[in-house]
Amino acid sequence: MQTTILYAGVLLAGTLFLHGCAAPEVKQDLFAPTDAQMKIRSLQTRTFDLTDRNAAIRGAIASLQDLGFIIERANEGLGLVTAARFAEPNYYDVVTVTVTVRHDSPKKMSIRANAIYNNKPIDDPKVYQNFFAALQRALFLSQESNPSP
Amino acid sequence: MQTRMFETPNERELLSASAAVLQDLGFQIEESQREVGLLRAAKERSAREYSQYAERAFFFFLSLGKVVQPVDLHQKIAASLVSRPLNSEATRQEIRIVFYRVVWKGDGQVDNQYIPPGTQYMEMVRDPEIYQQFFAKLSKAVFLEAHRI
Repeated sequence: MQTTILYAGVLLAGTLFLHGCAAPEVKQDLFAPTDAQMKIRSLQTRTFDLTDRNAAIRGAIASLQDLGFIIERANEGLGLVTAARFAEPNYYDVVTVTVTVRHDSPKKMSIRANAIYNNKPIDDPKVYQNFFAALQRALFLSQESNPSP
Repeated sequence: MQTRMFETPNERELLSASAAVLQDLGFQIEESQREVGLLRAAKERSAREYSQYAERAFFFFLSLGKVVQPVDLHQKIAASLVSRPLNSEATRQEIRIVFYRVVWKGDGQVDNQYIPPGTQYMEMVRDPEIYQQFFAKLSKAVFLEAHRI
């Protein structure tokens, strides 16, 4: 009787041990785009009638500062601006935004804002609407409601 | 409080003067981007304050040795500065600077529960004097008056 239990125990331990060794299977669709991604991307992007890229980047910086963000990084060549702030009144939470500015066509500029709350991406359209409203104020421009495809 | 306007077409000089002033104040420049007018600087200092130790001792005795409050040990004071032309001819420049600090706490204890050291928190510097001091030095450095907006 006792040997049976011992045997079963060894078998159980062995299976668990072997199971730990098995490599987890890699999912094939790991990098495949999902519908949610496309939706979030269209929320995050707006097209502006602009020609001056530098002015657009500076406008993005100014509007982020107006919203109380601390500019952490900016790159003219890539058109990148990264900024962060506390999610007041929760001083332990941080909101990070990355804004990318790029030429859509010679007369159009597409601006994408990417916001993260702590370590979770923000997918609430309202947040992005508010940001683009502030950006528009900083740029004093007419804005196209339809995002770039 | 964070913003001043300078009557100068030379944004580059304003930026390098700002960098020099920050260095005079003990900061180290961590990142600079001339094309978009960004400077990031930081300095690390001790954050020990006598009053916090007094408070800690007070609560220690009041709780009969059960509560040891963590005190601030170390801090990093950081500044993010952005310059930006105000009009299209770029004869006026705006400088906006944000100071903030990150503080690391030491260890403590509540009853039997040990609080490990290294808790950190962050706060914006809201003391107008710090900003005034910076802009006073900056206007001296560029021989220009810093106009409030």
